[in-house]
Amino acid sequence: MSAENKPLPIIEVVNLKKSFGRIQALKGVSFSIGKGEIVGFLGPNGAGKSTTLRILSGLIPADAGEAKVCGVDLAQEEGLVRNHIGYLPENNPLPEDLRVIEYLRFRALLKGLEGSRLKERIKVVLDICDLERKISERKIGNLSKGYRQRVGIADSLLAEPRLVILDEPTIGLDPHQSAVTRKMMERLRGEVSFLLSSHILSEVEACCDRMIILSHGQIVAEGSLYELQKRFVNKTIFQIDASGNKIDIQKRIRSIDRTCELIQDDPVEVSGKRRYNFSTEQGEQIAERIIRTLLEEKNIRISGFQIRRPDLETIFLRATKKNWEKHDFLNRNKI
Amino acid sequence: MKSFYTILRYEIFALFISPSTYVAAFYFLSLLAIGFRFFIETFSNTDWLLPPLSSLVVGLLFGSPALIPFITMRCFAEERRLGTLETLFSAPVSSWTLVLGKWFGCFVFFLIISTLALCYPLLLIIMFPEQGSNLGFNEIENWIGSTLYLLIFGATFIAIGVFSSSITKNQMVAGMLTFTLLTAYLSIMVFSFGNQTSNTYYTISQKLSDGLFGTYINGLDKFGQFSVGLIDLSTILNQLVLTIFFLILSTIQIERLNN
Ligand SMILES: Nc1ncnc2c1ncn2[C@@H]1O[C@H](COP(=O)(O)OP(=O)(O)OP(=O)(O)O)[C@@H](O)[C@H]1O
Ligand SMILES: [Mg+2]
Repeated sequence: MSAENKPLPIIEVVNLKKSFGRIQALKGVSFSIGKGEIVGFLGPNGAGKSTTLRILSGLIPADAGEAKVCGVDLAQEEGLVRNHIGYLPENNPLPEDLRVIEYLRFRALLKGLEGSRLKERIKVVLDICDLERKISERKIGNLSKGYRQRVGIADSLLAEPRLVILDEPTIGLDPHQSAVTRKMMERLRGEVSFLLSSHILSEVEACCDRMIILSHGQIVAEGSLYELQKRFVNKTIFQIDASGNKIDIQKRIRSIDRTCELIQDDPVEVSGKRRYNFSTEQGEQIAERIIRTLLEEKNIRISGFQIRRPDLETIFLRATKKNWEKHDFLNRNKI
Repeated sequence: MKSFYTILRYEIFALFISPSTYVAAFYFLSLLAIGFRFFIETFSNTDWLLPPLSSLVVGLLFGSPALIPFITMRCFAEERRLGTLETLFSAPVSSWTLVLGKWFGCFVFFLIISTLALCYPLLLIIMFPEQGSNLGFNEIENWIGSTLYLLIFGATFIAIGVFSSSITKNQMVAGMLTFTLLTAYLSIMVFSFGNQTSNTYYTISQKLSDGLFGTYINGLDKFGQFSVGLIDLSTILNQLVLTIFFLILSTIQIERLNN
């Protein structure tokens, strides 16, 4: 989506900052979200996702910067914004000894719904979130995680908000349950804007129009999957399964291709075999030379080699790594 | 205002579905009934100067450290433990409304228990009108004074309980703290009982300042007046200020949690 035909922004954030004591959780974040968009908020743990979402939902004030949500300036009337949005907090806290239907009625009353509208809305959200009658009569404390999550989402949809902010809506859910969440968003696409944070990249890849990648309180990448891929597409990704000294492998590869960069390495087996992801600017031609060189090395054993298009995971790792290195002083000279 | 009613209803509902409040209320009322019966039977032999009805109020007040923690300990500690305060504030609710709603919910529950306790003398006068009136249970001014006294102190005690509940995530800690604070408050009142310095006021402003700040610890002295229907405004003012003070403290605490 280009900037011109983007509909009126429902969230507009400029240079948002927030500190907790000495921890700088947000160091100037700017982005905007259009009406009806579904945007994924990605980032490693502690990146400041929840902090941003809590500021946007009017729960905590920002230290500096501007934020407009649904046309309400948060700095002036942070309380007012709560009338327009639905918010699912991180970990989805719910009272345990209420029945689902009682809880939703309480929430609806709090959000100012009344009479027949209240009844109708409760029916609608129960339907949207696939909460059958039998479930809605049960105590929340006895529900499974999947159903609890649905109750939380049902609550956030009660007052027909124009914007729904979900903080990790699919955490701890089995694929079946998270598909329900995705379907729910699909169903409301266009009417409601969604801003959701997640660690599960395939989720975001599947249902979000756009993603914003946050790391250490700063936005490091932003755009649709296609745009992000385009940004990273001039880089080719090699995946090498090898056992041997990590430094040796890196040195060998660097000697062939100076632009080659290690994005990630994970152990695959206990035997010491690791999976390395390298990105290079030289394109696929260089691949053959690299693998040939590596195969000739006596102390390196290769068991797999693959060229990949960058998926969201790679993009994510790539985007957050630069930023990570800057802060991780211990690892800095190792890489 | 509407959210106040919603929170109030929810709070009362939550109290009614929680078994611990039932158990506490049941034991409390039973003990009170036994005490009251014993007191009525031996009343003529005691040197109790106040009307017999006052014994019930004294019982309720001095028993309250065993009752009020059970009513109030849940209100914020549980929300904090579960993290539901965040959900609450994502709806258009202010912390003051929340505190007030919760306080009033607990207060209503306290009222219910007090009403049940006050049914003892009421039953007595209905079933045995003669003995009832001998004991002075038919004198309306005693009822008004005693009830009012009970209400204003109950309000303060509940506010103390709500505040204790707002500063911890642990219900037990909240309950113990309420118990300690109430016991301390009652002990101070007992120790300062009888050494009220002067009862003569020269100006209205003096009386007012005394009402606002002066006589918190002399609450028990005023009970004599209340129990025969002499209502002392400064005591009411005192307790009102104290109640609001603790409610404001709770609000500040809840707001602080949010950042
Ligand atoms: N109430 C708080 N008091 C102090 N520090 C806080 C508070 N809330 C967040 N932080 C800090 O701010 C930073 C960002 O936290 P935040 O919860 O926004 O991260 P996140 O991206 O949501 O992480 P996660 O994926 O683990 O949920 C962290 O370093 C965290 O320790
Ligand atoms: Mg988070």
